[in-house]
Amino acid sequence: MSTSAAGPGSAVPVAVVPKAGSGPTPAVIESVNVTIDGKPHQFPKGTNLLEACNQVGANVPFFCYHAGLSSPAVCRQCLVDVKGQPKPVPSCYTPVADKMEVTTASPRVLDVRRQMLEFTLLNHPIDCPICDKAGECTLQKHYFDWDAKFARNDGIKVHKDKVVDIGKHIVLDQERCILCTRCIRVCDEVAKTHELEMANRGDHEVLTTAPGHRLDNPYSLNTVDVCPVGALTAKDFRFAMRAWELSSTPSVCPGCATGCNVEIHTARGHVYRLVPRINQAVNKHWMCDEGRFTYKALHAERLAAPRIGNSPTDWDRALEEAGKKLRAALDADASKVGVLFSAQTTNEDLYLLERLAFEHLRVGKAYLAGRDQGWHDDILVSADKNPNTAGAIAIGAGRLKNLMDLANDLRSGAISALLVLGAEGVLVGESAAAAMPVDRLSALVVIGTHTDLLVDSAHVALPLAAWAEVDGTFTNRLGMVQRIRAALPPAGDALPGWEIVTHLARRLGVTLDFSTPKAVFTEAKQKLAFMKDAEWGRAMLPVQLRFAGSRG
Amino acid sequence: MAQIVLDTLLGHFKNGEILQTGSQHGNEWARVRRDAWLSVATFLRDDPTTAMNMLSDLTAVDRFGHEPRFDVVLHLYSVDKKHRVRLYGGVPEEDPTIDSVVSAWVGANWFEREAFDLYGVRFKGHPDLRRILMYPEFVGHPLRKDYPKEKRQPLVRRQMGKAD
Amino acid sequence: MDQSIAPSSRRVVLGVSEPTDDALDAPDLPTEPMPLNMGPSHPAMHGTVRMVLDVEGEKITSADVQIGYLHRCFEKESESATWTQVFPYTDRLNYVSPMLNNVGYAMAVEKLLGIDKQVPERAQYIRVLVGEMSRITDHMTCLGAGAMELGAFTAFLYMLKAREWFYELLEEVSGARLTHSYMRIGGVCDDLTPDFVPRLTDILKRSRVVLEDVSKLLDRNRIFRDRMDGIAIITREEAIAWSLTGPVARSAGLAYDVRKDHPYLVYDRFDFDVPIGSVGDNFDRYAVRVEEMKQSMRILEQAMEQLPGGPVVVNDPRITLPPKSETYNSIEAMIAHFKIIMDGIHVPPGEVYSFTEGGNGELGFYLVSDGTGRPWKCRVRPPCFPAVQIMMKLLPGLFLADVVPTFGMMNMIGGECDR
Repeated sequence: MSTSAAGPGSAVPVAVVPKAGSGPTPAVIESVNVTIDGKPHQFPKGTNLLEACNQVGANVPFFCYHAGLSSPAVCRQCLVDVKGQPKPVPSCYTPVADKMEVTTASPRVLDVRRQMLEFTLLNHPIDCPICDKAGECTLQKHYFDWDAKFARNDGIKVHKDKVVDIGKHIVLDQERCILCTRCIRVCDEVAKTHELEMANRGDHEVLTTAPGHRLDNPYSLNTVDVCPVGALTAKDFRFAMRAWELSSTPSVCPGCATGCNVEIHTARGHVYRLVPRINQAVNKHWMCDEGRFTYKALHAERLAAPRIGNSPTDWDRALEEAGKKLRAALDADASKVGVLFSAQTTNEDLYLLERLAFEHLRVGKAYLAGRDQGWHDDILVSADKNPNTAGAIAIGAGRLKNLMDLANDLRSGAISALLVLGAEGVLVGESAAAAMPVDRLSALVVIGTHTDLLVDSAHVALPLAAWAEVDGTFTNRLGMVQRIRAALPPAGDALPGWEIVTHLARRLGVTLDFSTPKAVFTEAKQKLAFMKDAEWGRAMLPVQLRFAGSRG
Repeated sequence: MAQIVLDTLLGHFKNGEILQTGSQHGNEWARVRRDAWLSVATFLRDDPTTAMNMLSDLTAVDRFGHEPRFDVVLHLYSVDKKHRVRLYGGVPEEDPTIDSVVSAWVGANWFEREAFDLYGVRFKGHPDLRRILMYPEFVGHPLRKDYPKEKRQPLVRRQMGKAD
Repeated sequence: MDQSIAPSSRRVVLGVSEPTDDALDAPDLPTEPMPLNMGPSHPAMHGTVRMVLDVEGEKITSADVQIGYLHRCFEKESESATWTQVFPYTDRLNYVSPMLNNVGYAMAVEKLLGIDKQVPERAQYIRVLVGEMSRITDHMTCLGAGAMELGAFTAFLYMLKAREWFYELLEEVSGARLTHSYMRIGGVCDDLTPDFVPRLTDILKRSRVVLEDVSKLLDRNRIFRDRMDGIAIITREEAIAWSLTGPVARSAGLAYDVRKDHPYLVYDRFDFDVPIGSVGDNFDRYAVRVEEMKQSMRILEQAMEQLPGGPVVVNDPRITLPPKSETYNSIEAMIAHFKIIMDGIHVPPGEVYSFTEGGNGELGFYLVSDGTGRPWKCRVRPPCFPAVQIMMKLLPGLFLADVVPTFGMMNMIGGECDR
């Protein structure tokens, strides 16, 4: 949902960070009738009462409950009144039952809510000015919404360890921990390692690692996401940027073919972190640590300006030179001209390149490149480290050969010119130059994001906007076409791939008239079978986190 | 407070020109169909019960994400009866035009120029619709929600001897 | 100077220009139309405005008034600031009467929040006090500068001397001479200084003397009257059609003052008059402002007398910052402080048009809220915007020299007109 003020007479959307749609609808299940705050509702049998209440807008606060984890009912923040029960009931632990009558805001419930918050805040350190979570902290949010009373105690607090190096990526502050055990459940249920546990009792209870363990699993940073307070903080993000200055844009992780849905958090044109976005069909609530760090490549060693040889120039001159060289190679022998597709680029880039290469220029050779395969597991990580292999293969339609064939063709001289859209993974390593002798080409035009070996060897290098800077679609390993959105302006003079293809096409005498990525998508959707169910989605503005509520 | 204005409007316009009315925070408002904009506004000025002889303010709101995208907002006041009303005219993004009310209140001239300058809403029948706050070579409409606040535009060098 | 001699029939002889006998009968000398650019950088175009004039001799045939040179994107910036962070922006709107802008905006947000009836009484009186002081400084600046542009430098310095006393007192109260940011949503930032009332009483006494002196210098001054009388007359109907309000409209005979017609804060408890002009020329605009200053002083004296004790800000923990002693010593108050400042006050979704009497007329704030801590739209209806607009109609037909007093008496404040 986008943030906006609806005019009078229309329903007002609440400003929330946009979430992806939920997964497949469940099969028809028996419904039960529940009355919440006097209004009757129907829910499928087995629905969690807390979820039910919040679905109808009752806004019941909670700390330890998480929709993707089991529910231990330790925090007691979600207590509500159920008719017939003498004590308030933890709604996160209670499934709905037929004819249940629930009150979520009676004076007793409100009082109990305040009491729970008072207990939680009793030993909480006054860390807000230095705590990373400030601005997206659930404790701050619930205190402010439900309990606005000042402290009654004498202010003497229990002291625990403050900067505990608990794992490779994470720092623990034991004083801030509110003992909700979400992180323990993440390690147990998502990562399937069992590295965290609680020690001691009462107000000396602390989070600690199990004996002999450190928090080192490949999903460790999810504990930072689920932590409602600033007890677990990521070393990468610690003190880097204040949460309320960040703007959030929904997109898809480019780390591997799983295509976990993410939010890109940016401030002032710089990406500061990636966090998972809920998508029940792809990644549920989680993502792997490796994927989180894919944003670092956006700001390092980018090709910022078009180049002819090694000298930077402007787009006009570079495009003219590229057009000249490719035209010469095509006129000499089109069957020896090759085009390199990349599994790192969007469907829109690939589609237009395919039209240019096969429909118009009739090149003789086409290849598919991408990053090498890597490790995988059966939780989220895919061995294929490219976000759009499925899209590239579908668009290539069997006409794309692989990099081994490219190396052979280069060595045998079967290829005289090469146009590359997406330079990643082509020339990697010291022996690359010998294995792939690209200097034998009469024309090498590389459209790439980073200044790597291939870009440095190109006759003309054109800067490509990276995944976080473009609007487009990726196809994941399940064949789902997912929308990525631009969170930043392109680095330097870079342009999106499809746009560069249209400019290059014009220099080669081909008209590919598209002015927006949506136009490319619309045509591709009609022509390509795997995209027929894809949606472009509505126009969205980046959401400033400070105005979107808390996270955690 | 100004319920009489809304009642008069609803009593006079019976063909769905008044899409909706309401009152919020002491302000009465009415949402008007775009093609009836000028006739409703002129009626409010001329009718003796409402007598809205002064135009207080005319502006536009970008309701990004909603249809229609822009709302032209007109605040009218009666110096004799001392009541006010707010009129909304929904303007879609693909065709951002609406009638100008300059023929009813000559002072609307600059207000409409400002709404055009900052939002891109064109007022049909305006005698002099050009930018007022931005310089003439400015590209875009800055108060639209999709115009980024930090966007910079190049300074323009005027050619010698060229008047503007 | 005999008004029947048109300036164009003077003959310049050896650098000395004096009317000749036959000039009394001579027709106007033939002239050519000439475009003349006044501003934006011009001593008399205070507030940076550009007038592209077509003149024939001394007479203006057409005027294109171009504003926007002081446009600083108030609305766009407000859309990415919290509700409280907009206050410094409002200071810089009408920067000679900043308290009035602060008050107008604070009242608009309070209406949206629904707490406008809960603002404590003392806070309302303080708002009236500092607001009227700002109105006096506004008029003093306008009249002083206007007189200076006609050559009356002494009047200017007298007015500025008096204005400085007000600025000193406002600086004691708010911390700054001009950029007060004194109001908060729900009240005022901090209470008045302990010696405010005796200081203000003394200032009013001295200011009345200054106004007397300036009156003696200007009211029956031949040069002043000749430059101002009968120039740029606005009729009551024109004032209504051109959306004029404030001293400009009241001098034209339009009896509209928001403080009287739609009383807000505690203005209905004071006994004051609203001066209305009869002719609508430049001198009327001057006279109306002088009289308004005297009425503002009456209001100030009554407000000081009636000033009650009590809190100065509404007692709502979700709107008002907690006291610093709590903030630094307890996590609860720290969180409250944090959320109010960082998230901004959560104003329920809605829209409101709230109007007060600014220095130049009806100062309207049209706020649109989407339920978050920042405005979706924060529009200022600038009272001097229509006044500058009507210049395009008034100037043609006037002499070039008349541009200066006309523009001066419109009191265009660039910060407010361009925002």
